[in-house]
Amino acid sequence: MRIVRTVTLACAVAAALWAQQLKLNLDHLAGKASDSVDVSLNNSMLQFAAKFLDGKDPDEAAVKRLIAGIDGIYIRSYEFKQDGAWSQADLDQVRNQLKAPDWSRILGIKSAEEGDSAEVHVCNQNGKITGVVILVTGAKEFTVANIVGAVSLESLADLGGHFGLPRLEQQKGTKKR
Amino acid sequence: MDWLEDELRQALRRKDPSPDFEARVMAAARRRPVLTMPRWLAAAAALLVITSAGLGYRYHRGQAAKAQVMTAMRLTGSKLSRIQMQIKAARP
Amino acid sequence: MVFSVVYHFLHDRDTAEEIAQDVFLSLHRNLRAIQSAAHAGFWLRKVAVQRSIDASRKRMRRPQVALEDVAEPVARGVPADPMLGETLRRLIATLPETPRMVIVLRYQEDLDPTEIANLMAIPVSTVKSHLQRSLALLREKLVRRGVREE
Repeated sequence: MRIVRTVTLACAVAAALWAQQLKLNLDHLAGKASDSVDVSLNNSMLQFAAKFLDGKDPDEAAVKRLIAGIDGIYIRSYEFKQDGAWSQADLDQVRNQLKAPDWSRILGIKSAEEGDSAEVHVCNQNGKITGVVILVTGAKEFTVANIVGAVSLESLADLGGHFGLPRLEQQKGTKKR
Repeated sequence: MDWLEDELRQALRRKDPSPDFEARVMAAARRRPVLTMPRWLAAAAALLVITSAGLGYRYHRGQAAKAQVMTAMRLTGSKLSRIQMQIKAARP
Repeated sequence: MVFSVVYHFLHDRDTAEEIAQDVFLSLHRNLRAIQSAAHAGFWLRKVAVQRSIDASRKRMRRPQVALEDVAEPVARGVPADPMLGETLRRLIATLPETPRMVIVLRYQEDLDPTEIANLMAIPVSTVKSHLQRSLALLREKLVRRGVREE
């Protein structure tokens, strides 16, 4: 009985620790996509990659700063030639995980005309952001970006101004870390 | 990424030789010393070769990991940038 | 890396270990020519490629046939192979030597066509052509086996 309780407790702790990392079963979309990006980088891979980032290159230096406190980056991004390649079930699979108490949606925007939708969710544990999910969908697109760890929203905003992207402004009411 | 290319990468993931492979290479290196080197140096050189090959491999893997990180950050940045522009466009 | 390149090319573990050992010993004998760790990696890969192709020619396990002539199994009514990876490896093993090595270097080692051309001492256009044709053929064979829909 004690063993069962210990195992159950260990599973619960593990589940809590990993609440900020989503389970992404979207491989079936890759077969339909005309273009797809599949990135799964855990902490050790990120630390390893960081050693090869050039601090003198502005883009690489920005990324090096950003990933310093990050435990994982998981991205599934698909573009399709036809509409209807992804289903509501695919979207629900992601959204259902974001209904957990630690997650809250801080931004959502929808274009009724183009059918595009974008959401940003953060996982907040003990007053600290421990995960971010960016979910972007459109008629011919499905993207989930899950960043796990001590993510700084300011640092994410700082990605603008690099890679030829316009600089992002901090949103009013966004939690600052 | 084309599905077939993805499957090929999976199917052709690196495989390791037997656990005793390195020991056999070292033993063979000791049996066939380079004439201009003493035996102990030949064994050390063989070890260095295997380690160096590992370093070359490590560099290549590092570059691949870096490329993945940069791709991830570019994609994330571009999505956030697009969201920002949509918000701006939606403002009265 | 060395073992893996040879193994995926020859699909024979014992021979791959023999050749890999030989490649390392060869490098050991030519240490003076090595300028850096990256050079060692390049040298090992190059020699692994050469020895693999030599071994394949000596063994003559597979007659040289053009890509298009590789025999098809009975396609219709054959259940899809659940082990897609193993199916792919077997299909790759039926390719002629040069396109087979191009596929291994591209998808195992993640080398780009220029690096492959440099390693194999063949034109970049030849590498790209081999890649295109091999992918098209593999795709077609998988579709015909019912492993994948078009």
